[in-house]
Amino acid sequence: MMTLYVHRQSWLHRQPAGLKLLVLMATSVALYALTSLWTAGAALIAVILAYRSLGPAGWSYLWVVKPLLPMFILIFVVQTWSQSVSAAILMLLRMLTLIWLANLVTLTTRMDAMMDAVMPILSPFRRVGVAPHRIAFTVALFVRFVPVLMAVLNSLLEAWKSRGGGRAVWRLAIPMLINAIRMSDHVAQALAARGGVRSPETPVSMVQPQ
Amino acid sequence: MTLTIELNQVTLKRDDQTVLSDLNLTLSERRIGLIGNNGSGKSSLVRLFNGLLQPSQGRLQVRGHNPAGGPEAMADQVGFIFQNPDHQLIFPTVIEELMFGLRNQGLSKADARERAEHCLREHRRLDWAERPVHSLSEGQKQWVCIMAVLVMNPAVLILDEPFSALDLPTRQFLTDWLLGLPQQLIMISHDLDVLAAFDRVLWLEQGQVRGDGDPETVIADYRTACNEAFSL
Repeated sequence: MMTLYVHRQSWLHRQPAGLKLLVLMATSVALYALTSLWTAGAALIAVILAYRSLGPAGWSYLWVVKPLLPMFILIFVVQTWSQSVSAAILMLLRMLTLIWLANLVTLTTRMDAMMDAVMPILSPFRRVGVAPHRIAFTVALFVRFVPVLMAVLNSLLEAWKSRGGGRAVWRLAIPMLINAIRMSDHVAQALAARGGVRSPETPVSMVQPQ
Repeated sequence: MTLTIELNQVTLKRDDQTVLSDLNLTLSERRIGLIGNNGSGKSSLVRLFNGLLQPSQGRLQVRGHNPAGGPEAMADQVGFIFQNPDHQLIFPTVIEELMFGLRNQGLSKADARERAEHCLREHRRLDWAERPVHSLSEGQKQWVCIMAVLVMNPAVLILDEPFSALDLPTRQFLTDWLLGLPQQLIMISHDLDVLAAFDRVLWLEQGQVRGDGDPETVIADYRTACNEAFSL
């Protein structure tokens, strides 16, 4: 999510996260009520234009679907064969609209705003003893450490290759794991040094030093 | 309430090994450097100050507080900067990183944001607010780490080899900036030149103080000792 987030501000950045998520949800329901190719096509064009409104480079973010292309082709072929070409096109239009719209929300919403918006949905977890802010925190932490762990893996790979490591790259799994565990130790220390994971109701001043 | 760090016969053992033995120290200078070989006990010593480690024996007071309550209880008093910024940057964007500690101190979201932005503005880096932390350079990351701690307004700032991965100009820039801060600084460094402008330098060896005094003398003694017999 973080790697996708565009930090240049746009009008979409300024919309509340809750609203964006609601629009996304409403669109996903509405799309299935649409049976005309024309209206589905219009919805898709509207989403594409929204990307354009992010700025001159906005369209480049549409490439996010590139890895999905083989799957699209497969679905298209199967749909055409089992139903009809128009059904297959409709399906494709719906999928593209949804994926791009969801991606657009991710691109323009900050992590903490997103978490605030979903926090009420997480509140039932409180009943089983899990504080929602901890879940939100875990998600943020996960997002943050994806690129860090990728960098660790990269440096392990470099060390492996520079000593002529060969093809059995799977053997890096153990050092990778050890690195990750050691890193989690460091992160836990750093976290504790800044007051730990706490909710606004129990600030650090409430754990008075002795 | 005293504005110093006091150690009274402090001993620290880890897994039956004595890491620090019988330390008696009063640290009241504004900027204190900590030097010594790897394994001499420097990192362990500073971890006592905010309760990340607890002494096995002896008494310890940090600005009138006993860090026995652990690091979370000391977070208001002591800011701690670690060696690797990637281990302490917890949030995806700079502003979230700065807001984290403030929220822990009980500030509302709006207040925390305002204080965080104020801090960035003071350092003329307001444009960093929405930047993803992974897009920053190593020096910028470490700077954000220090700002994220400073914004909590601690009385003491502890830095455990904060510059080991940074190039010379970045070191110089950050050192100059740190020396201008009102906080008491306690810094571990293998880059001895950085400590030249400090008020006091402690040299630790095998868990004991081997040198203590003005930087010039202590660092010179340390260099001499390093040039004498040494083997790995």
